[in-house]
Formats: sequence, structure tokens, C-alpha cells
Amino acid sequence: MSDVHALSGAYVLDALTDIERAAFKRHLASCATCAIEVAELRETAARLADGAWSVPPPALRDKVFAEVSRTRQDAPVAAKPIRPQRNRRLFTVAAAVVLAAAAATGTFAVQERRLDDQRTVAQAEAARVTAVLSAPDAALRSATSASGVRLTVVTSQSRNEAVLTMSADRPAGADRTYQLWMLDGSTAVNAGVLPVGTTSATRLLSGAAAADAFAVTIEPPSGSATPTLPTVGEVSVA
Amino acid sequence: MREQSHGDPPRDHLAAVPAPVDDRSVADRLLVAVGRGDEAAFRQFYELVAARVYGLARQVLRDPAQAEEVAQEVLVEVWRTAARFEPARGSATAWVFTIAHRRSVDRVRSEQAAADRVQKAGAWAAQTPYDEVSGEVEERLERQQVRRCLDDLTSLQRESITLAYYGGRSYREVAQLLDVSLPTIKTRMRDGLIRLRDCLGVEVPA
Repeated sequence: MSDVHALSGAYVLDALTDIERAAFKRHLASCATCAIEVAELRETAARLADGAWSVPPPALRDKVFAEVSRTRQDAPVAAKPIRPQRNRRLFTVAAAVVLAAAAATGTFAVQERRLDDQRTVAQAEAARVTAVLSAPDAALRSATSASGVRLTVVTSQSRNEAVLTMSADRPAGADRTYQLWMLDGSTAVNAGVLPVGTTSATRLLSGAAAADAFAVTIEPPSGSATPTLPTVGEVSVA
Repeated sequence: MREQSHGDPPRDHLAAVPAPVDDRSVADRLLVAVGRGDEAAFRQFYELVAARVYGLARQVLRDPAQAEEVAQEVLVEVWRTAARFEPARGSATAWVFTIAHRRSVDRVRSEQAAADRVQKAGAWAAQTPYDEVSGEVEERLERQQVRRCLDDLTSLQRESITLAYYGGRSYREVAQLLDVSLPTIKTRMRDGLIRLRDCLGVEVPA
């Protein structure tokens, strides 16, 4: 973990100086896993506001409503572009895809990480994700199935790794969940079982050089040893 | 692989932890409507969040008049910028309380900067001891899940988060107050929040 990465807690608690805050925000723009962590910690910190309620003076309501009725609203701002790194177009595209998927919904990778030593793994994973996305031979593939499951994968042959993101329109169903697979010819390797009710995930996968496709199936909550066909989403990298 | 072959666990162990989903989805929906210029939705949203916005400002600023000013600024800013709220990136309440906390801390910091640093730092430290901050907060959090989860933290994690969030302190100030190194405080804030997140079952919405 870089030093700046460790600042996520102080960042969401507004406990950084302006300079540190700016440095951390720059870091966030290029770190997909940090973006997920910050979103979650921010949500967590906001829950602390429950401990601070106090009945506001009645005049506050009138003042606010009066000001609101004469205040024009701002137009929504377009999402900020991801900062290009070393001007590599693919990195930008891939990072944008992964970040968008992760920021929108991806909680799976983070949840899995909780089982391990969080900081070490987060650090290593962040570095590896960035390394895959910026690898000279990184290749981006994406596919959306008829059932509304979108798979995006960035593979790097030289690193033998892939970053796979998945998002579905809806949960897998009652007592069912999504499971990801890495396919090599007729062999299917488990690439992660999503928690029940989850509709998206971002996974960093090792041993991906041999894979010729990635797929999603619907399985029982604890997952299956082999995919239950048909798949509900598939992306080929062959 | 394993398909629960070792006997089905009791049903209630499988039940999801009940989250304040209704409250949350109501708030999210209202704020989206506010973003489209719906003033009636804003009035309803106000009732949901105003006590916490004002209370948070008051907790951080320790001054009712300033807290009222900041709360007014924050709530009008919510109206003005609501179109930027994206439910997929977090809850409406987190969005609002993030703004409220930031504005309150900005105000505290500018007050601090305006005063003689050394003198004011001393007076400031004497003004809001940790026990006082945490005592008030504990009363309000009674029987709430957040309280139980805060209790699960180590005292250093809890004190650093409490001093920063409710006391509006920078992590440098917190390190000084608790007489702990800067790297340690950074780490305790982060791992304390991570533990809190897991205890509360917080997730970025799907």
C-alpha cells in the first residue's frame, strides 16, 4: 500500500489537510479498488450522523424553504473522465470500464477481501489491477447477453492475469446466485461465487493466459463445482 | 462443490441482516425527485434529514447559531446540486451527511485559522474534551446499531474516529490529543471504519 492509500479513513472523516486531500483525490482517480473502499467507508462514516441529531430551530425550515424557492438548481455534471496514465488509450478505456462497474455496484471483490488481511491484500490487489490495465499487451473485451448480463474483461498474456467485471440487470433469483467462470477449452475454473442478491462483481484472476472465454451461470447460494448450463453471459477472448 | 450437504443450517441463520431499506429507498427516491426540481419532494426530504444535518453541524461547531447557518447552507446546497446525486454510487443520506460534515469541518478550520494558532489550539483542546463529545453522542445513539458497532472497536479506533467525525479534528490533532504517532492514527481511522463497515453491513448499493 502506498502511503497515500492508507489515508482513506482520514479522507472520509474530513481529517486531512487540503493538500493531502487533493493528493488523495488524485490517487483515487487511478485506483479502482480505492474508489470502492472510499465509497463504502463514506457510507459508513455517514451512519455516524445518526448519533448527532438535534432538533433544529423552527426558523430553519422557513429560511431554507424560502431560499430554495428562489434558488436555481445546477445542471447535472458529466462524470469526470479518468486521468489518462502514460497516455495509453486502452488503460483509460479499461480503467473507466472497471471503475464505472466497481463504483456503480461492485462490492464482491471487497467482501472477499475482508476474509484476508485487508490492507495487505487491498494493496497488492490495487497494484495488480493497475498493472493488468496498463500492461502493454492488455486486451479489452466486452459482451452483453440477451438476459442482460454484461461481462467486461481485460486480459494480459504477459502477466497471466485478467480483471473481470460483471453486472446484471437483476439478482439471480430466489435462493440462487451468480457464479463466474474462467473457461479453457472444456475446463471451467471457478472464478468466484457472488453473495446472494448481488448483481455485480469485479475480480482479479490469475492464470488467465490460457483462458479462451469467461462466463456467468446461475447457481445455488454456495456455488457449484461445475457450471450449470446454459450460461447467462459469456465473453470470448480467444 | 459443496451444496449444503452437511445439513441445512437453521433458517434464521440464513436471513439477511435487516437493513433500513425502506428509509433508504424513500430517501433515495425523494432526492432523485429533488434533482428534477420537485419542491414538494424537497420538503419531505428536509423532514428526513434536517435534524441530523443540524445536529451534526452543532456537534462539530459547538455553537447553535453557527450550526444553524451551516445547516441552512448545506440544505440549500442539497437543493441546488441534487441533480448530481447518483443512487448507484451511494445512498441519499450518505450524500447529504457527507456535505454536512465537510461544510461543518470547513467552518471549524477557518475559525481556527482566523485565530492565533497556538493560543486557540490550547483553548480549543480544553473546550471539547473527548469524554464530553463521546458522552453526548452515546446518549443519542442509545439502542442504535451504530452504537453497538462503535463499542466493538478498540478504544484507539473509537476515539480517533469520534474525535475526527464528531469533534471535527484533523488526524494530526487527533494524534496529538491521543499522544499517538501519525501513521498509527491514519491506520486506526481506516481499520476502525472498515470494522464499523463490516459490523453495520454497509455496502455500496447494487
